[in-house]
Amino acid sequence: YGKCSACKARPTLKQPASPCSPRVLLQRRTFSLDSLSSGPGRPQPQQARTDRASPSSAPTHRNLSAVAVSVQDQSRPLGRYDFLDLGEVEENTQRAQLCRTIRRFIIDPALAKLVTHHLGPDLEDSKAAIFECNPGPGVLTRTLLNAGAQRVVTLEGDKSFLPDLQALECLLDGQLEVVHCDFFKLDPMGRGSMRPPAMYSDKLFTDLGISEANWTDEVPVKVVGMFPQRIERSQLWKLLYVLFDRLSIYRYGRVELNLFISEKEYLKLMAKPGDMLNYRAFGALWQMACHIELLHKEPWASFVTSSKNKLAIPKSRLPNDNLCLVRMTPRKDLFSSSLTPSNAATLVMMVKQCLAKRKARLVDRLNMWSPDSGPKLLKEMGMQEDVLTGHVYPMEYKQLFELVDKSQEFTQSWLYEEVLENTQKEGWI
Amino acid sequence: MLIFSLPFLFVVLKARIQQLQSDVIVDVQHAKVQFVKASKSGTGASSGNSPKNVSGERTEVPKAGQTSCKGGGQTGKGGGKDASASKSRWMEKLSQEKKTKTKKLKQKLGLEDKPVKSSKGKLMLPGTSHKTISTKAGIKTASTAKKSKTLKNQEHTVAAAKQEHTMAAAPVAAANVPIRKAKGKGKALKEMAPELSEARNRSEELAELERKAEAKARELAEVEELERKLSQWAVSASPELVQDNSEARVYGDVQRSVRCYLEACVFCGDIDRAHHFLLSHHRMVSRRNLLNIGLYNIMMRVWAKKVINFELMSRVDIRQNIHIHVFIHQKHTRPCSIRVRPCCLFQRDLLAVQRLVWHKALVGALRESRMILSSGTQKAVKLSLYPYLCLLDEKDYVDIMIQSLSNLPPSGESLHILAKELGNRVHNKFCIRMKEHNQIVDKLSHIYNEYTELLAKDSKEFDVLPRERWWKLEAEHSSGPSLLGDETHWPHMVVVELGTYLVDLMVKHMKVNSDILNSAYDRKLIPVLYHMYTFRSNKQVGFIKPHPILTQMQQDAMDTTLTFDSYVMPMLCPPVPWTSAKFGAYLLTPTKMMRAVEGANQHEILLEKCQDADLHAVLDSLNQLGNTAWRINQPLLDIIISIFNDKGSEKLDVPPPNSEAPKIPRYNQQDSVTFTSAEKAHLKREVVNAKKKCSEMHSLRMDALYKLSIANHMRDEVFWFPHNMDFRGRTYPCPPYFNHLGSDVTRAVLVFAEGKPLGPGGLDWLKVHLVNLTGLKKRSSLAGRLEYANSIMDDILDSADNPLNGKKWWQNADEPWQTLACCMEIANAVRSPDPTHFISHFPVHQDGSCNGLQHYAALGRDVIGATSVNLIPCEVPQDVYSGVAQQVEEFRARDAEKGLKIAQVLEGFISRKVVKQTVMTVVYGVTRYGGRLQIEKRLKEIDDFPKEYVWDASHYLVHQVFSSLKEMFTGTREIQDWLTESARLIAKSGSTVEWVTPLGLPIIQPYHRSRTQMVRVNDTVKQKNAFPPNFIHSLDSTHMMLTALYCYSAGLTFVSVHDCFWTHAITVDTMNKVCREQFVALHSQPILQELSNFLLKKYCSGLLTLTLVPKPLLRCLGCVLRVVNLLEGEPSPPD
Repeated sequence: YGKCSACKARPTLKQPASPCSPRVLLQRRTFSLDSLSSGPGRPQPQQARTDRASPSSAPTHRNLSAVAVSVQDQSRPLGRYDFLDLGEVEENTQRAQLCRTIRRFIIDPALAKLVTHHLGPDLEDSKAAIFECNPGPGVLTRTLLNAGAQRVVTLEGDKSFLPDLQALECLLDGQLEVVHCDFFKLDPMGRGSMRPPAMYSDKLFTDLGISEANWTDEVPVKVVGMFPQRIERSQLWKLLYVLFDRLSIYRYGRVELNLFISEKEYLKLMAKPGDMLNYRAFGALWQMACHIELLHKEPWASFVTSSKNKLAIPKSRLPNDNLCLVRMTPRKDLFSSSLTPSNAATLVMMVKQCLAKRKARLVDRLNMWSPDSGPKLLKEMGMQEDVLTGHVYPMEYKQLFELVDKSQEFTQSWLYEEVLENTQKEGWI
Repeated sequence: MLIFSLPFLFVVLKARIQQLQSDVIVDVQHAKVQFVKASKSGTGASSGNSPKNVSGERTEVPKAGQTSCKGGGQTGKGGGKDASASKSRWMEKLSQEKKTKTKKLKQKLGLEDKPVKSSKGKLMLPGTSHKTISTKAGIKTASTAKKSKTLKNQEHTVAAAKQEHTMAAAPVAAANVPIRKAKGKGKALKEMAPELSEARNRSEELAELERKAEAKARELAEVEELERKLSQWAVSASPELVQDNSEARVYGDVQRSVRCYLEACVFCGDIDRAHHFLLSHHRMVSRRNLLNIGLYNIMMRVWAKKVINFELMSRVDIRQNIHIHVFIHQKHTRPCSIRVRPCCLFQRDLLAVQRLVWHKALVGALRESRMILSSGTQKAVKLSLYPYLCLLDEKDYVDIMIQSLSNLPPSGESLHILAKELGNRVHNKFCIRMKEHNQIVDKLSHIYNEYTELLAKDSKEFDVLPRERWWKLEAEHSSGPSLLGDETHWPHMVVVELGTYLVDLMVKHMKVNSDILNSAYDRKLIPVLYHMYTFRSNKQVGFIKPHPILTQMQQDAMDTTLTFDSYVMPMLCPPVPWTSAKFGAYLLTPTKMMRAVEGANQHEILLEKCQDADLHAVLDSLNQLGNTAWRINQPLLDIIISIFNDKGSEKLDVPPPNSEAPKIPRYNQQDSVTFTSAEKAHLKREVVNAKKKCSEMHSLRMDALYKLSIANHMRDEVFWFPHNMDFRGRTYPCPPYFNHLGSDVTRAVLVFAEGKPLGPGGLDWLKVHLVNLTGLKKRSSLAGRLEYANSIMDDILDSADNPLNGKKWWQNADEPWQTLACCMEIANAVRSPDPTHFISHFPVHQDGSCNGLQHYAALGRDVIGATSVNLIPCEVPQDVYSGVAQQVEEFRARDAEKGLKIAQVLEGFISRKVVKQTVMTVVYGVTRYGGRLQIEKRLKEIDDFPKEYVWDASHYLVHQVFSSLKEMFTGTREIQDWLTESARLIAKSGSTVEWVTPLGLPIIQPYHRSRTQMVRVNDTVKQKNAFPPNFIHSLDSTHMMLTALYCYSAGLTFVSVHDCFWTHAITVDTMNKVCREQFVALHSQPILQELSNFLLKKYCSGLLTLTLVPKPLLRCLGCVLRVVNLLEGEPSPPD
């Protein structure tokens, strides 16, 4: 990861929006699998869809101890190199559909394989723990383990899936840990009762024995899963806040997210300056904070939904035919001498205020913060006097903020105090 | 005629020079504009330049008149006759008027009208010009008339009778145009004439021409007036216009905004703009559909009025009128704003100086931006803000802006709210102006004075209702303008747009030096207000924030005056009785009888539709509530103010000043390095909490400051609270800050202005009232309460004598200030020589015990339920909350035995307090979700209760509360379900739920989700869930109104705070009797049956077949409830 920064990606990332781009879009999964499998550097032997249920084709480098085919009815202990059976698609689908909370599941083994593939070529060697959010019947979990993942932590919010997962946990030799927890309810904003699946992140990490790390250290945790559809945007905001403040999961280092989000949200996330409709504070801040990489696009229909009626695909002016697997890796150089977690909230606030109206002149916004200093700052940045806020790149905002932060005039500005009040409205704590 | 009028003319001339001056200026401007246009449109004609003489013009005008008469049909002819009868009188007056005017013009215009001269100078030769002009005018008349005729022909297919009137109207307007033009040109011309005498001759000639023309115009105006009436009938006769289907409403909205625009243009004298606007709308067929006859009529009236105004002025010396106006304003209504001396005084005048600076800056800015607006937008069909910015003086706009600054909380205000407030204040001021302008004030003062005299004279007789009295007087003074006025409420969009415009001016032009408070800072001119955004659940909201410097200045230099709009103050004279849904309450400020959510106008339509007589009972009860006179309880006010000016007291509900607020912890980067992230998060949370607390304290403090300042201002006065109501008929006093619906503090400060002797039982009632206020002895009988009061007489007297230094018994009461006031009253009564003759002004309250449940129990004929809410005689007042708690406890014990964990945990924690709020609100539609939150809150307040069980316990309890209620009130649930289901079906079919209260008030639920500005979508969920509580509220208000009316006829003073009724101590028994009787009377009606019938008739007539029969409710209605303790329960909990 890290080879595709948001900045570099910008010129090319427009392409995913067009459905005929061959580079990113994989029209049919079968096709995509074939094309990928034939590609170089594929870590695992190919497993065709037809023989996926057969345990006999297990690769020899399996380092798993044992596992049952279907945990609940048989508990036949398997040999060390036995392949975990993913279970029948039919059966998994049924179980997913019984789920009481409305959500989507990865049931298709091929899809699970593809996701696993994208999690990196070095699954066996990577020290990063993999947090799998809401695995449900556990197809992806098993696929990950099959691929040789060293440490998988499943965070399952729905009690009904727990027994199976826990059974699996018992059969394994510590590669899998099952926690009753909803990743998207970590450190909740409300003051409701703290009981699972809601949880404090420090409890989760302490229980798992993961300690706080430096920002520049390697990625300690990779999160994989799917954003709950209804709260996609607010979750993205919440994560953004904790990222800039280095709170919650980001206390433990640069946690990498590999999450499915709707295509429209992805396109908004990656909107470029000049796209006055979609370029918003939300996207700008994410681009500023993370390398964002589109790993894969998958049609909505490939996922199994627990309730079909209630989970309509949101309509949008933007194309929204797929769920996008997006990797968001926080930048190593996000924090510097002038941008620290303690003043980053001000940066967030500044960008939000500036991009509330993309057609406003940047100089006016700056003047509001500190009268008459707008032109000076723009000159220092080498920008035109009449530049609109919607034309400024995320990184330029960062630079601007660093200049602002140095300037004496701005530290006097009362708007500095505003920040705290505003974050409360988001209620991220 | 000339000889006759000349001497008179000179006498008048001097005296009236000033009024006419202003009038002339308007005229001249107008003339100027027309002038330019005429030269454009008339190019074809002027090339021929054949001199037509004056007689040509004369013949032209009558023709136009005749056409209009034809167009007007039969009524038109009638109008014509009338006009000719009064013709001679008008002529005489007109000639005088004209001569005065021309005389003066000679003196004035030489200085005034330069632009006209320069623009037209080349073209005009002094000798012949006036003839040329009149020719043009004539041609123009003809052409305009022709044009309108062709339009008429086109329009024929549309064919509605109304439309024809409209078309006929057009030529009339056209006929007026040249007259004005001719006059204007005459003026310009005179100014250029070298010799005065010649000019005079010409002007006489012109004047004669004008006089005739105007006489005609007057005639036409009368025709037009008749037409208008006719069209009104037409409108009211065609019900499809007021139907609430969305299309009609869309049209209605557009019409309203066009109408307001025209009215505004007309008011500020920009008739040309209005004319232009209407014509350009008319020319576009797509837009023409949006116009209605009323819109054309506005223009017609303007032209007609132009003529009439001269008439009126020549009859009455306007300056005298102005004196009267001022008098009325000062005495009764104080038109726009009031300065109130607040309770606390500081000295600095920094702010005052700044205000002057801002004032100047804003006036300049407003003037400039208005100029920019005025140019260029003339031709557009688009509505411009310009006319709305010309309605008041610049000074008035700026005053409104600067005043709004003092209400701005330090944490800022959303732009929308601020803009709405500013826009509404401009609208209010404009309405008052308009009334002055239309001579309504005169008439109003006349009628009002007679009304109050009558009110004062026979206050002991109650055979004539205030409304009837007012009607009689109005009928006696039937001449002159209608009191109703015809101002239209501005559409929401206009209000907000105008407000936003003003806010924008403020943001841009109000600046302050940054070193004004701290000279250490660099001097820089910085804005005072900032337009920012806040983000609420991913929506961005425009926000106006004041710079902390401004906040600091405001706090330091606490104003010595607060300025309020007059309508937020109690009235110093009895309110005008509501005589229709549109007219009543304040004398000048427009008030709606039914408060409505913004943008919702279904109520108005509904109220307009309903027969006047149907509303009488409702109007009368509102009048009765408004006619109660109040006074300030001075000793108590003094005590409260002393505490307020000291440090406040949270315990006594007197908000402390900001200096007492918690310090906001500093959060800076240096410190934060050493903190762990958990500490940082904690610190942030602390800062957030402190800020929240500060802004809460600030708003509480300001609110108290307003209330106490107003009370202080009213200290020696007798005053009134005009009332209106919400869409369910619940009544509220109009003044928002200080009224008897307020908190304990404000209630304590108010007493009746009228005093009555205590009589035999009065003192006892005072004592019972005292015990009720303390919140003690809730389960005792009245005798028990009285006994208790007698046993603590020492405490009571001590409280009264040494409120702040004594034993302070009163401070522990539920309602401490009212308790103290009551202690004082009792002390005074006891110490008077004969308590039965002691004159008491003190209001004694009687609270309903859970009114909603009472109505449900009565509707469902629930015996157990009725007993528990005191509908059935019992020795001891029943307490439904305790009853429910008891029932829940039984369920809990049963479950605990079965081994349910949570039931065991809850042992000993179920109390009345835990369930009370939920029981109370269940009636008003609280859901399980909301109920759980309420109970959770209560459980958290119990220190001993284990916190980890709170969620489970609240979940369990809310379930139990609901089931016990179901057990106790069997019918209630059924009724609720039936109501909900009916509403669901109605809402699903796309209609809005409507019903009529037993008193005849039509009610419509205003719940819509507005998708865009134009389209409103029925909010089914809200329609459904809100119906049961709204229906119960409407019954409740009906009961209150009935009680009010019967109390009025019994000669009682009666006031209500929803379900809490107030009266003098001596009349408590009578009031209780009336209250009970009315409750029984109300529920002896087949209320549900009637509702069912109404709904069936309204919604099930078409294809729709719903099951709207209240099956379970058709029980025997024979058993009449014996309502005994209805009003003797405990004090009602605060809403």
